[in-house]
Amino acid sequence: MNCDDARILMHGHLDGELDLAADLELQRHLDECPRCTREYAALRAMRTRLRDDEFRFEAPAALKEKIRRALPAPTPARSNGYPSRRGSWIPRVARFAVPLAVGAMLALIIAPRTIGPSVDQQLAGEVVASHVRSLMATHLMDVASTDQHTVKPWFNGKLDFSPPVTDFVKDGFPLVGGRLDYIDGRPVAALVYQHGKHVINVFMWPAAGAETSAVRVETEHGYNVEQLMTAGMNCWVVSDLNQQELEKFADLIGGKG
Amino acid sequence: MPDESKALDFDRTFLPHMDAAYNLARWLVRDDHDAQDVVQEAYLRAFRFAAGFRGGDARAWILAIVRNTAFTWLKRNRGSNAPTEFDEKIHGGSTEDSGLEADAVRKADGAMIRAALDELADEFREVIVMRDIEGLSYKEIADAADLPIGTVMSRLARARAKLARSLQTRIDQDRIDKEPK
Repeated sequence: MNCDDARILMHGHLDGELDLAADLELQRHLDECPRCTREYAALRAMRTRLRDDEFRFEAPAALKEKIRRALPAPTPARSNGYPSRRGSWIPRVARFAVPLAVGAMLALIIAPRTIGPSVDQQLAGEVVASHVRSLMATHLMDVASTDQHTVKPWFNGKLDFSPPVTDFVKDGFPLVGGRLDYIDGRPVAALVYQHGKHVINVFMWPAAGAETSAVRVETEHGYNVEQLMTAGMNCWVVSDLNQQELEKFADLIGGKG
Repeated sequence: MPDESKALDFDRTFLPHMDAAYNLARWLVRDDHDAQDVVQEAYLRAFRFAAGFRGGDARAWILAIVRNTAFTWLKRNRGSNAPTEFDEKIHGGSTEDSGLEADAVRKADGAMIRAALDELADEFREVIVMRDIEGLSYKEIADAADLPIGTVMSRLARARAKLARSLQTRIDQDRIDKEPK
């Protein structure tokens, strides 16, 4: 083995990543080459220093707390006996499948959860991500007001449509504000409601197709998502609120409350 | 698999790696506040992509996302090049001696080592952070840094050789500065 090879292989040796044959060969070279031995000793000392905690940055507690809070609270699996409308169609075996290269995994962002055409699945993913972001980034509201007559005009000039804004405080779902958001490649209205400690985001934009009022429910990563059409608006309702209460709220939004 | 347990799984699988995520982000963007933004954004993306996680090494998986987020952030905010434009030939190190002595390393000031590491190109700094500070295996580094496993060792060799030379230069300079005039 020459020094050029040794200068690379000594790193594998240092890290315990060489196979036995290469390891022995490298060791033999070190035994007879004082220059490489000196370099190796310096590298090993450097590695030992770097392992010291003084070089490791620890995540600030506030950051950890912020991330934890933004994720949906783990709920006991359907303790209320309420059946999920989405079956467990993801084969259990998928969890144990041979891990793909990371690049490939990223390419599969939503695909494994999709049945048939995936536009809605993608939208559901987008609204959940926006919901999480709104909780995480301390950007829940652009306009904080419980007054629908303040929130509605706030959108004027900011959107090319006027979203219906109604306060449902008497039903236990007070309006707390609104903000501009971006879904499906367009600016949308986001109305923020509260129920107890749960935050509800309602995303609205004009519906392109025929008006229907069917309510569809999905669950994404523990968040409940409902989609409905009302007053010509495509509405997506997202919260970590349980499905029954969120449906009640969706009915209010849909004008059936 | 019910979705509720999916949320549980996300917490259990990825939250324990927040320190590793922050450490890598902090070394890549070199600023406390920016690193926090990067980690937050990375967790948001991880949360969205979690359906694509098929088991395996959760730490390498989240670090891959942190790394991509950090490089996107660096490109957007500091105009630095993405690591894909990295050229092994241009950046190829030589096998010259650094002249560094083990004893000098042991006595070196921590701030000096930190500065030498900070000064390395991102692509070199990240493999040292992953291997030496975070303790990832070559396989995990290959996954997290999107490198062919066969190039992890040579990348590390160049990175450490550069770090050793940079540290030696600093030690020499320090000695000159401290010499009585």
